[in-house]
Amino acid sequence: MGTSSALRDLQRDLENKAGDLNKLQKDIAKNHQVRKKYTIQLGENELVLKELDLLNEDANVYKLIGPVLVKQDLAEANANVRKRIDYISAELKRLDATLQDLEEKQNSKRDTILKLQQRIQSLQAGKAKA
Amino acid sequence: MMAAAAKGGVAMELEKMSVEQVKAIKEQTDLEVNLLQDSLNNIRSATSRLESASSALHDLSLRPQGHPMLVPLTASLYVPGTLDDSDKVLVDVGTGYFIEKTMAEGKDYCERKINLLKSNFDQLIEVASKKKSIADEAGAILQAKLKQLSPTS
Repeated sequence: MGTSSALRDLQRDLENKAGDLNKLQKDIAKNHQVRKKYTIQLGENELVLKELDLLNEDANVYKLIGPVLVKQDLAEANANVRKRIDYISAELKRLDATLQDLEEKQNSKRDTILKLQQRIQSLQAGKAKA
Repeated sequence: MMAAAAKGGVAMELEKMSVEQVKAIKEQTDLEVNLLQDSLNNIRSATSRLESASSALHDLSLRPQGHPMLVPLTASLYVPGTLDDSDKVLVDVGTGYFIEKTMAEGKDYCERKINLLKSNFDQLIEVASKKKSIADEAGAILQAKLKQLSPTS
């Protein structure tokens, strides 16, 4: 009958939407992970900046590049750490915006799925009566 | 007083919810408590590493220049050498940066880091114990509700 194929279509649509929601949730989880990593790096870099600020002009700073400890200019080290902090902050902001967007999509997907489920239920109830 | 009132408030909120919801809240809070415990353990081990670094520094400062020592080339290969200048130390400050400091500055650095970690630890302990008490509340209320549902058991 017409109703059963409509029902089947709705159920298939529901499955698709559920898959979409799943993917959105995975994306949100990944976003959280990357955010965590960046937040940790930001904290570490800020600690380093604090230490560098405490130094005199003539203190020696070295950077570990692979297996080599290279002498660095204090001003250069300061500039590098600051640049890194700016970069990480910008990335975190970008991630925040993406996260908000993903969460909005997730909520609207949930609403769509709920409505679909209600339609399916009422169709099934209608079928049962007939 | 306020804490008790807040806790009473939480208990009342939990009472109003269904068994499913209380169960979900308890599970989530348990997870959070575990995460916090892990963080606390990390802080504890970092603090003990810093303390052993600090005591190694102190030991180093007692050694005179020219003192014979064994220099590690790999984890299992040491070569004999002499202690050059024990007043200068290289401190690993993170993200691959090392700073040359005097012995006194190095000790000061260790002290500062240990204090920072201790204050973080204290803050975390407060948060963790609050979460734990919420988890315990939820557990108790869950038990009570389950008993209500099956009085003939």
